Amino acid sequence: MKHIPRFHLLSQRTLLPLATLIDLLEPLATAGVEAFHLREKDLPGGILLDLAQQCRQRLSGRAALFVNERLDVALLSQADGVQLPEQGIPVSAARQLLGPHMLIGRSVHDVGGARQAEETGADFLLFGNVYETTSKPGASGRGLAALRAVVAACHLPVIAIGGITPERVPEVLAAGAWGIAVISGVLAASDPVAAARRYHQALNEGDGRAA
Amino acid sequence: MQRGAWSPERLRAALRVYVITDQTLARGRSQAELVAQALEGGATAVQLRWKSGPLRDAVELGRVLRQLCRAAGALFIVNDRLDLALAVEADGVHLGVTDLPVAEARRLGGDDLVIGFSPETLEQAQQAEAAGADYLGVGPIYATTTKPDAGAPVGVAHVQAIVQRVHIPVVGIGGITAANAAEVIRAGAAGVAVIAAVFGAEDVRGATAALRQVVDAALGERGI
Repeated sequence: MKHIPRFHLLSQRTLLPLATLIDLLEPLATAGVEAFHLREKDLPGGILLDLAQQCRQRLSGRAALFVNERLDVALLSQADGVQLPEQGIPVSAARQLLGPHMLIGRSVHDVGGARQAEETGADFLLFGNVYETTSKPGASGRGLAALRAVVAACHLPVIAIGGITPERVPEVLAAGAWGIAVISGVLAASDPVAAARRYHQALNEGDGRAA
Repeated sequence: MQRGAWSPERLRAALRVYVITDQTLARGRSQAELVAQALEGGATAVQLRWKSGPLRDAVELGRVLRQLCRAAGALFIVNDRLDLALAVEADGVHLGVTDLPVAEARRLGGDDLVIGFSPETLEQAQQAEAAGADYLGVGPIYATTTKPDAGAPVGVAHVQAIVQRVHIPVVGIGGITAANAAEVIRAGAAGVAVIAAVFGAEDVRGATAALRQVVDAALGERGI
């Protein structure tokens, strides 16, 4: 059984420049971030590969590295996995390229997407937005009931994303989420490392499971 | 070097009329249908250039183009995205200066993958050849509206300069039509790559056939 990280942090260079974020990766991993997603798919491949290699080096195995969408960059940077948008490369095609060991996360928005991701070989799901979020303005939250439905619809670990604060972590876990993914809650914080620590603590205390 | 089914000679011949897809220029027409018409008209290579929209759709289109090109004996290349190229079993990938480095693409794609590269300078052309590129796309030869970021036209003299410095075949790109393709070939290009001249045409089959005729005639003048 593959280990699926429970605390994911996603990049967004408009919130925090990548150079700054990369410098923070070591302390963030120490603070409890278990997976870092390089999510900058609009950048050219050469630049993205260079960034992914820098992330790999800084994380040095302390946290898993995921590359969003670009399987080629993930493979070349020896990332631990990829995160695929729902409208992205089909999971089955990705699995063929990545082999059995690399992790494939699939972003889903409903039960149908969750079932399809499971059938085609995803390792975990990223479901959101659970709450309203500044990272995706205009998108209202899908809510805890929708999260519960996705959790019930498949056997894959579900990582909840979208507007999650440390205070909301207990109810997210109680709804059956395996873990959380955060963007602005860490990147926009005045002290990102302290913010990551609060999330980590909330996850540890959450529903009594060990992180 | 032999790249899968593509010997250097076969690759060079496949670069004669190299058609690049464009969703906007397709103006709602099926891109697969336009490629089928271009192949009927004599296109020898097709490049899937996916700029926006869900990648799922690109995979779907790529799989169709793969079959069309295979049936026509044409070279099938995917622009920029090596993962997409591998997922649809394209013959190769085409890279620009900010895309994945040629050597990295070779490392992941293996020896069978055809790699094209668009250098912006002579030095980059030579470096790409040394790094394992199989052909070069050089341009913009003429002013082009398809790629607003392509920069000022470099003219056929630039093709000539690069052809003299590398051993791999060169295709000219940028503003090429049946009216000016011959001078690109006379400058030493193995072929011409076109976007608007084919995908922007009302009669895609006819436009491709006209280009093919001009290119074949100009290559004939060179004894090829």
